[in-house]
Amino acid sequence: MLVLSLLMALRSGARPQQAAAAPKTAAPKINESAEGEKRFRTNCGRCHHPPEDLSPREARAVLRQMRVRAMLSAEDERLILKFLAP
Amino acid sequence: MLILYPEKQGSFRETGETHCMRCRRNLYLWASLLLIAFSEVPAKAQDLVPVVSGAAGFIYSKDSGQTALQPILSPVVLIPLGSKLLVESNLEMQGFVARSSPGGPYEGQYFFSVNYLQLDYVVNSHLTIVAGRFLSPFNIFSERIGPIWIQNFQDGPLIYPIGTRTSGSSDGGMIRGVVASRPGWLLNYTAFFSALNNSQYFSAGRAAGTRVGLFLPKANFEVGASYERFLQDHHSNSYGGYFVWQPGTQVSVKAEYAHSPQGQGYWIEGAYRFRESGPLGRALKNIQPIVRGQQFYRLAPGVNDSLPRADTQRVDFGLNYYLPHEIRLNGSYGRQFSSTGNSNNWTLDLTYRFLFPVPFWPKGAQ
Repeated sequence: MLVLSLLMALRSGARPQQAAAAPKTAAPKINESAEGEKRFRTNCGRCHHPPEDLSPREARAVLRQMRVRAMLSAEDERLILKFLAP
Repeated sequence: MLILYPEKQGSFRETGETHCMRCRRNLYLWASLLLIAFSEVPAKAQDLVPVVSGAAGFIYSKDSGQTALQPILSPVVLIPLGSKLLVESNLEMQGFVARSSPGGPYEGQYFFSVNYLQLDYVVNSHLTIVAGRFLSPFNIFSERIGPIWIQNFQDGPLIYPIGTRTSGSSDGGMIRGVVASRPGWLLNYTAFFSALNNSQYFSAGRAAGTRVGLFLPKANFEVGASYERFLQDHHSNSYGGYFVWQPGTQVSVKAEYAHSPQGQGYWIEGAYRFRESGPLGRALKNIQPIVRGQQFYRLAPGVNDSLPRADTQRVDFGLNYYLPHEIRLNGSYGRQFSSTGNSNNWTLDLTYRFLFPVPFWPKGAQ
């Protein structure tokens, strides 16, 4: 399975997988903050509540860590940033 | 959470290395990692700021009639570098103040530990490469609900030492990521190896292991399994499983099972957050009742394995109260049943979660 993962990683480059579940082109007027909140509840809310009062720069650092810890996709990271620091 | 691993306290295997040599080897290792990290020039350095996060807390506990006071400071330092790299570290300073004898004066012991100091390279959603010292990825307690501002009961589960020997952290390498993601499911994995390290602050056991998790977003249900092969002294296998389920926005259920040659057991925990609506909504919205049940079965005598000496059952009831500014007040009562003696366990704690940019960094939090 690990070999399979490595092969998939090399094949797909930086293509975010979860973006396939919510394609950007399908809804250009999508409320990204609301979608970010939904993804926060789904991915992060299983363990903790949203933090209070984050600036965008602080949120980027925290989300980088959560991307590793919670295995977020690049699209998740972008949308949750819109929710945490709109 | 204070769990003392006897291996960490002493009785290290002789390796022929002096303390100085080990320190120098560790220094070279961390210096190499940082050199690699900083060689990646930040593409958008102006958008990134290192932050200090973490929590401070104070725990009052009365366990089997013995009162203890435990101040804790657990800062996390995050240094993002460019678009792919992150240096992250968590230190923990904890005090344990208790009477040395009944009626005697309070005496304090203080502990310092490095929970993790790691370099993360995010290749893509499928692969993140981690090097350095990291939390051992066995089940979910250690990595995901271990921080004091997250966990509902400040004393860790009875089965926590299974799969996380010798210190709860590993020194080596790890890969993790999402194998595949579809609208209805997501499969993730983690695999790691750890080298033996007997130094005071970076102690770890020689081990390798993996964890696989399946998340069903529509049901808000995650289930997973873990395996660890302990590769020093007497080699042994540990395995376990877990699930997390949130049937609504108010209810959360988490559980773990773990097995080792010395023993096996499980814990299951439920929490309920009241709705803000309703006549009592404003009064109840910050209250979260919690309950946890645990059972542990001793399978073989163990030396310094940090597990209960006999079969043990325990149930805990508690209440979280969320105050403004990331402050949480928590109280709990637990009753433990064991052939070595039943006991009552009371805990009252206050935790504060903090987050701020590294002081004096240009533009700070802007």
